[in-house]
Amino acid sequence: MAKEKTHTNEYAIDIQLGELNKKMASEKKQTGGALLFDVLQQHGVEHVFGYPGGAIMPIYDALYDSDVQHFLCRHEQGAAFSAVGYARAAGKVGVCFATSGPGATNLITGLADALADSIPIVAITGQVPTSVMGSDAFQEIDIFGLSLACTKHSFQVTDINDLEKVLHQAFAIALEGRQGPVLVDIPKDVQIGHIVSQGTVVSTLKNKVNLPPANVGSAIAMLCHAKQPVLYVGGGVGMANAVDELRNFIDITNIPSVSTLKGLGAISPDNENYLGMLGMHGTKAANLAVQESDLLVVVGARFDDRVTGKLDDFAPNAKVIHFDIDTAEINKRRVANSAILGDLKTNLPALAIPLAIEDWQQKCQQMKADFGWEYNHPGNTIFAPAVLKELSEKMPKNTCITTDVGQHQMWAAQHMSFNDPSNFLTSGGMGTMGFGLPAAIGAQVSRPTDCIIAVSGDGSIMMNVQELATIKRFQLPVKILLIDNAKLGMVRQWQDLFFAGRLSETDLSDNPDFVMLANAFDIKAKKITGKDEVSAAIEEMLEHNGPYLLQVKIDAADNVWPLVPPNTANDKMMEST
Amino acid sequence: MNHYQLNIKADDKQVVLERILQVARYRGFLIEGINAKVNTGTHIGTIELMVRSERPISFLVDQINKLIDIKDVKVDTNVTK
Repeated sequence: MAKEKTHTNEYAIDIQLGELNKKMASEKKQTGGALLFDVLQQHGVEHVFGYPGGAIMPIYDALYDSDVQHFLCRHEQGAAFSAVGYARAAGKVGVCFATSGPGATNLITGLADALADSIPIVAITGQVPTSVMGSDAFQEIDIFGLSLACTKHSFQVTDINDLEKVLHQAFAIALEGRQGPVLVDIPKDVQIGHIVSQGTVVSTLKNKVNLPPANVGSAIAMLCHAKQPVLYVGGGVGMANAVDELRNFIDITNIPSVSTLKGLGAISPDNENYLGMLGMHGTKAANLAVQESDLLVVVGARFDDRVTGKLDDFAPNAKVIHFDIDTAEINKRRVANSAILGDLKTNLPALAIPLAIEDWQQKCQQMKADFGWEYNHPGNTIFAPAVLKELSEKMPKNTCITTDVGQHQMWAAQHMSFNDPSNFLTSGGMGTMGFGLPAAIGAQVSRPTDCIIAVSGDGSIMMNVQELATIKRFQLPVKILLIDNAKLGMVRQWQDLFFAGRLSETDLSDNPDFVMLANAFDIKAKKITGKDEVSAAIEEMLEHNGPYLLQVKIDAADNVWPLVPPNTANDKMMEST
Repeated sequence: MNHYQLNIKADDKQVVLERILQVARYRGFLIEGINAKVNTGTHIGTIELMVRSERPISFLVDQINKLIDIKDVKVDTNVTK
C-alpha cells in the first residue's frame, strides 16, 4: 500500500520533523524515532504491527522514511496478537507499536498472552513528554508500572542517550532463556531528541544455565530402570527449536509420548507411540498412560493445571525427569527427581538411549487403538470434529492453523494434525478469546506463501472482528473457518454439566450475519448447515485465491469430550452426559 | 506460617523495588518489612526483604532471581524461622 503523504497538524513540532531529520542527517545525528528503526533493522525486523496516536507521532514520522513495513491494525490488541502470531509462525521477534494511554493499555492483553506462552515480542509505546510525566497529562498512563505484571521485562527511556542500548537489550531479553514480551516506553521528547548512534551494542545477560553433569547420570539410571515411562512434551520444545532433537530422542527410545496444547506439532503425529494431547480435554489413551506411568520425562512443560487435573492424583506412581530452561519451573508444581536445566537442543541427546519397554509400548498402542476418535454422528447436522479432521486432511502441507478459545479450540487440538509447533498457534496459558484472527494476520505476514487458517468460534471472532479490515487493507489471503453454534459454547457446556443447566449469558443467537459481515470487508464467504455440504465447502475455501470465511453451523448442544472435571484425577474423565 | 528474610543484590534502578514487591505479593508472600540502600560507588542496591508465607521460600527466590535487574538472592538462615 502506498504511503500516505498527509500528516496531521495537531502538533506543530511534528510537522517540522521532516526538515529536522534532513538537517540532522548531514550532521550524522538522528532523532530517537529514526534510531529506533535503525535498531529494528539491525535485529532483522522487516514488519511491525501498530496503531498511531499523539505521543508516538515522531516514531511514525520516522517510519515514513524507513524500509520497515508497518501493518496498520484496527485496534492495539489486534496489533499485539499479530506480533505474537508473527513471532510464533516465523520463530522471530514480533514487534508492535502503540501510543500512550489507551493505546498502551490496549496492548496489555497481548503482552499477558505472550508472557503466559513465552513468546518473544517487543512492544514500543509512545509516552507523554518527560516534562509533563506524572501530571495526569492527556493520554498519560503509567504503562511502565502496568507492564510489571505482564512482561518479562520493561523499560522507560527518559534519556535519549540510553535509547540505543535499551532497544538492543529489549531484543536480547525477549529471546534469551525462556522467551517473553518486553515493553519499551519512549516519551515523546526522547523520540524527537537528537542522538548519534554508537553502533551495534552487544548485550550480555545473566542467567546462562548449564547442565549439571551429575543430573545426567541419575536421569539415565531412572530411564533405564523405568518399566512404564511416558514422554510429556510442552511448548518449550518448539521455543527451543529442538523438534529434531526431540524426534531423534523418540526414535531412539521408542518411548510412548503425549503432548500439551502448546506442544502439539513437536511430536510427529504419525509416530505409533504418540498418544495425543493429555489433560482436561486430552485423549483417553494419553491420560491413562500418564496415570499408569512409573516415570515422566517432562520436556519444556510446566505441569499446568489444565494438564494435571487434581495435582495430588496426577501420575501418582511416577518419578519425574524435568527438562527446562527456566529454573523457576523446577519443583514449582511437581517435585522433580532429576532436573536438567538448559538448552533442550544440547540436553535431550544426552538421554537418548534405547529402552527395553516392549510390553509397555504394546499396552499404550492398544489403548490408542481401543480409545480412538469416533466420527459417526447421527443426522445431517454438521459435526465439528469431523469438519476439522477433514480440513486437516485436505489442507496443504505446512498450513498454519490459529485458533481462538473455547470448544472449537479443543476440537482443533484433538482432531487436527500438525507437523511442527509453528503450525498450530493457540492461546494456551492465558486462554485469550480474540487471539485467532489477528494471530493469523501476523502468521500470514511472516509466511506469505503458506496457507494460514484461523479456526474460530462465533463468540471469539467478535472479540477482534475489526481486524477483518486489516485483512482487506493488505489483501491477506487468510482463511477463516468459523464454527458457529450461536453460543459461548464452552461456558454453556460447563453450565450444563456443573451448574445444573442454568444457562447464564451464553446465548449469542443475535450474532450478525457473518457472511454479510465478511462481504462488507470484501471477503468472500459462505455458510453451510448440512453434512453433505462440508467437503465441497472446504475445497472451495482452500482453492480460493484470497481471504475467505466459511461459516459452519453446528448443533448448539454439542460438547467437547472427553472432559476431566475440575479438581479431578485425569483417569476419571467424562466421556458423555 | 513461615517467616523469612531475603538478602537481595540488584542493579541500582528505581523500579527494582516495585518489581520485587510485585513478585512477592503475586506469588503469595506477605511483606513484613523492607530495608533498601544503594552503594553509590558500585551502583549496587542491597535489599533486605522480610516476608511470611506457607509456601516454601525457594518458590519466591526462584521468581525474584528471574528478574533481569537482580544480581543475587540469598535466604538469611539466621533470621528465617
